[in-house]
Amino acid sequence: MTSVFDAATLEVLWARLLAVVDEQQGALIRTAFSTVVRESQDLACGVFDTRGRMLAQSLTGTPGHINAMATGVRHFLAAYPPTTLSPGDVLVTNDPWQTAGQINDFTVLTPVFRGRELIAYFANTCHAPDIGGRLLSAEAREVYEEGLRVPITRLFAGGAPNAELLKLIRANVRTPDETVGDLYAQAACNAVGGERLLGLFDEFGLTTLDGLATEIMDRSERALRASITALPDGDYAAEAWSDGFEEPIVIRCRVSVRGSDLAIDFAGSSPQSPRGINVVLNYTHAYASFAVKAALSPDVPHNEGAFRPVRVSAPAGSILNCRPPAAVASRHVLGHFIPGVILQALAPALPRAGQLAGGADAVWISVWRGEAERGRPFTFTLFQCGGMGARADSDGLSTTGFPSGVAGVPAEVIEALTPLVVERRALATDSGGAGRWRGGLGQHVVIGRRGANPWGVSAMIDRTGHAAAGAAGGLSGASGRFSVTDNPAARPKELAAIGPTGRVLLTLPGGGGQGDPARREAARVLADVVNGYVSPEAGLAAYGRRIVYSGDPDDRVRPPERWIVE
Amino acid sequence: MRIGIDIGGTFTDLVLIDDATGAVLVGKALTTPADPARGFLQVLHEALARAGRPLTQARTLVHGTTLVTNALIERSGARTALLATQGHRDMVEIGREQRFDLYDLTLQRPAPLAPRWLRFDVPERILADGSVRDPLDVAFVEALAIELAANDVSAVAICFLNSYLNPLHEQAAAAAIRRAAPGLRITLSAEVAPEIREYERATTGLANAYVQARLEDYLRSLMAELERAGFRGSFLLMQSAGGLAAPETAARFPVRLLESGPAGGVLAAARIAEQAGFSDVLAFDMGGTTAKLSVIEGGVPLVARDFEADRVHRFKRGSGLPIRVPTIDLIEIGAGGGSIARLDTLGLLKVGPESSGADPGPACYGRGGTAPTVTDADLVLGYLDPDFFLGGALALDVAAARAALATLGAQLGQTVEQVAWGIHQVVNQSMANAARRHVLERGQDPRRLPVLAFGGAGPGHATRVAQALGAPGVIVPPAAGALSALGFLVAPPSFEGVRSFPGELARLEWDAVERLLQELADVGDAQLKAAGVEPERITHTRFAELRYLGQGYEISVPVPAAGSTQPLAQLQTAFAAAYQRLYQRPGPPVPIEAVSWRVVSSGASPQLALPRLAGGDPESARKGERAAYFPESGGYQAVSVYDRQRLGVGTRVSGPALIEERESTIVVRPGQLARVDRLGCVILDEDPAMTGDPA
Repeated sequence: MTSVFDAATLEVLWARLLAVVDEQQGALIRTAFSTVVRESQDLACGVFDTRGRMLAQSLTGTPGHINAMATGVRHFLAAYPPTTLSPGDVLVTNDPWQTAGQINDFTVLTPVFRGRELIAYFANTCHAPDIGGRLLSAEAREVYEEGLRVPITRLFAGGAPNAELLKLIRANVRTPDETVGDLYAQAACNAVGGERLLGLFDEFGLTTLDGLATEIMDRSERALRASITALPDGDYAAEAWSDGFEEPIVIRCRVSVRGSDLAIDFAGSSPQSPRGINVVLNYTHAYASFAVKAALSPDVPHNEGAFRPVRVSAPAGSILNCRPPAAVASRHVLGHFIPGVILQALAPALPRAGQLAGGADAVWISVWRGEAERGRPFTFTLFQCGGMGARADSDGLSTTGFPSGVAGVPAEVIEALTPLVVERRALATDSGGAGRWRGGLGQHVVIGRRGANPWGVSAMIDRTGHAAAGAAGGLSGASGRFSVTDNPAARPKELAAIGPTGRVLLTLPGGGGQGDPARREAARVLADVVNGYVSPEAGLAAYGRRIVYSGDPDDRVRPPERWIVE
Repeated sequence: MRIGIDIGGTFTDLVLIDDATGAVLVGKALTTPADPARGFLQVLHEALARAGRPLTQARTLVHGTTLVTNALIERSGARTALLATQGHRDMVEIGREQRFDLYDLTLQRPAPLAPRWLRFDVPERILADGSVRDPLDVAFVEALAIELAANDVSAVAICFLNSYLNPLHEQAAAAAIRRAAPGLRITLSAEVAPEIREYERATTGLANAYVQARLEDYLRSLMAELERAGFRGSFLLMQSAGGLAAPETAARFPVRLLESGPAGGVLAAARIAEQAGFSDVLAFDMGGTTAKLSVIEGGVPLVARDFEADRVHRFKRGSGLPIRVPTIDLIEIGAGGGSIARLDTLGLLKVGPESSGADPGPACYGRGGTAPTVTDADLVLGYLDPDFFLGGALALDVAAARAALATLGAQLGQTVEQVAWGIHQVVNQSMANAARRHVLERGQDPRRLPVLAFGGAGPGHATRVAQALGAPGVIVPPAAGALSALGFLVAPPSFEGVRSFPGELARLEWDAVERLLQELADVGDAQLKAAGVEPERITHTRFAELRYLGQGYEISVPVPAAGSTQPLAQLQTAFAAAYQRLYQRPGPPVPIEAVSWRVVSSGASPQLALPRLAGGDPESARKGERAAYFPESGGYQAVSVYDRQRLGVGTRVSGPALIEERESTIVVRPGQLARVDRLGCVILDEDPAMTGDPA
């Protein structure tokens, strides 16, 4: 293995490039308008070489966006070859099949020129707060109902905004200021990245990124291949069930390990749905490659090279490789199941650090809509997370997004921007699956509103019927619940109407446990009961420990020293 | 006579300034973690003995300590309860629901400072417009307080939703607790961090309550000791934002002391740089395990409010407890003399953040360390003298350093020298990367800022960090080894008040803003009076936190003085200019929104009169020469070594050269000229003799 770079020089350039994309992301978060981007960080940022290969991504962000953006950039290059681009041009699309699988997600790509020469691209993907059409839900039967579809188009030409396009977008969405404000932020952060990259070129006297790119990608590929080679060859299979829309959906996966290659096939999964829960292959690929990397080599940087050893396939027309014009708005729900089922299949082969019981999987995305005071409309997107599955050596994390990398939204930010009132946000006792290591807890959330106008919610959520599975003898987590006090017909994934005094109850699912609950240390069961993560009843039923409070039954303050394990 | 004492992780540093003579005396002793006051008194008495002065003559004693940080990291604070709005007691555990590392399946989140059994839902509700929907159940709070006190709970934090807009219920609950259980210490989130986002505010309030008793006890016993020893002057505490506080204020807001040591260093850097003629600099402090970088603008360090304490992963953002208090805006990375070099899974050479620490330390310490470190590389490169490390107190083992580097060399197929230079480069570039990002994100240009270097390893690495940044030069101040304690003696007493008062800028009633700013100024005045500042010497600096309507992050913009004409228009112009500077393009056509308002009240800054030094001839300071590695010269070459203490004002030394003092060595690379200014700063510039027109 010969290299034009020595280990120190390569590290210096590489570290610098990572700093550049982190700055790009920082600029995006600080200039964004929607809470989806600035609070929940439903985004991805990255830098690409002249062939459109992703070289580096920013530190956080969410895998569905990162990897879908990574594989989507080639479509931009096909539509606008380098010769058609000039300095100041910025491209945009939200085409689901070409990028992140849902038309709410805008990908913005900016070529970087050094003089007249194109040297790299910066791209980012963000979830727009609204894109018109039906309110984000799973109810549509075709993608055409889901809002405005923007094919790969110029957002800026020679530095000037494409006013006609922006006019069109503004006229089609419920949140024109936020949707367009975010597009400005997406262009601005790419510009910051480009500026910094030019600085790097000047400083190190580079004329091209491509040599560095090839080197980094090749090394990443080799590192991932080494991790795959460490797995025993074989075929590993698992399946997972989602609530689906009209009927449950099954995802079946078979992981084939052969030497340093790993193939994941989803044959046998449900056919594509008539409703908007379908997943495009690009997004399936995104979460499948995320799972392999997280389980096998979390420290290998994520770039084109890390995709090469992994092949992902799903039958055309199936739920994970839907054909247009399928409706796709709630694609994240099933997309988020993909890492869990792959980890489950590979469990017999994985190292301890890759062991993870089933979790809540899908981040709960709900879109809230109605009239605020003085008839002003509001549309607000909320992200919430249930519990993660237990690990081989520790409990699952409560209320933490996985596989998604998004964050929740503070109650005070919700209340400042909308008439919504967050009445309750509490860990859900007994929702974590029992095990030697307990699953993470879900949460109870109750939301009402100020003012006397009607309102509605569309909750793209799952695991209300199918709980997260435990692993290695651990029990499953509690499933979720969704109800509206004054609308008994309200169902997940559909727009539900709510009266002025109505309240929405969301209970997010818990994660599965890992290992036999009888083997959980008594001290841990005791601490769980003292803190109300586990009720005394469940302490007995699931763990066989009779734990009683010896103080006054009216005590509000119940310190550990007054609990007794009998 | 004024004395500054900084208790750090490893050393307790002292600086004594004799105002009569201008003499500066530096002291150093090992920190005594079990009883920090012991190390404090030891270094104090030692220094007084050397100065030949009694403690009774000390006018001011300024103190900074890591006590608060340690209490959070060790979880050794009080049994603390959290009172929350009905339904929201879990906000400190639910947090932001995000993983700080996308790929690590084994990660942990920091545990809340109040376990769940000590968190309580309290019937009350204030809405986002500040109106009271459900009144506070006072009887509930009283009954709860009595139970808490009966269960050895000694501190309570209160964080109710929307209290940043209306603190009424938090105040009423505090009053109820005081009536029912007068012994409990109480922190109101709206008082310690009146900002939107309940998780961050509650965590800050909880941290404050959690460490309060530790700090109070410590201060009480320390002050009693000082009094017994005859101290009659004023005793002040250094705060993270770079101002001083009276002990009473410090004990009320202990979280404001978290970064007192680093704040002192940056403050001293700012003052020295200014006196040396540089108002904008990059302060660069490199020690054994970390490097800290901070931008100084117009002679003033920048201040931020997004500090994180007790990170589970020390250098990963989001892995710690958010603490929303004003803190000197610095970036800390895992790069120091003890940072360990290794190859990662891609075969790239990584340095840090893992550190060999003080024990066993770098391989060359000869204490059993075998991992190659930055110090080992510096030694092999000839930058350090094996017989003059810490003035010769610790003999360095070159053979051990070479052996440690050779293991890496075998993996890379490189010589020991190549590996050493690789480590030196990687660590310098990683510090430069952190610095560049930090500087650019603050709208500054790193190519404009000279690097002011201090800390044990700072002067040895500054020239390469500056080179990587394209910085115009390096300044190494005198007393670089105890700069934090020196900073304590140039800090003004100060207090920052913040209040949320949101609204679209163009529609704000300006009189109401002025009233609010006046209230904040009055609070500041009261705090400063407690610190012994005369009212007529207090100045107020006022800031608005502004953003485009709908954005989530604000930019701090100075508010024109009361009575200015068209204050709103001035604010709008200033904001637009700041936005353009930060993001290189104008903002969108959207109204500007004010989020909160701040007033920094300050007393006068004490003068720093460093003694003027005598001139001298470089030859008399020349100690000898040794081989040191400079790629510009093709590798190792014999270079002159100078004793910094004997380099007089105005002397000039051409690079390559090494300038040594007890705690650190200044590396002067080829093409650079080092000169000593009238304050004793060593300033490295491009050597005009070398950069002249080759024709």
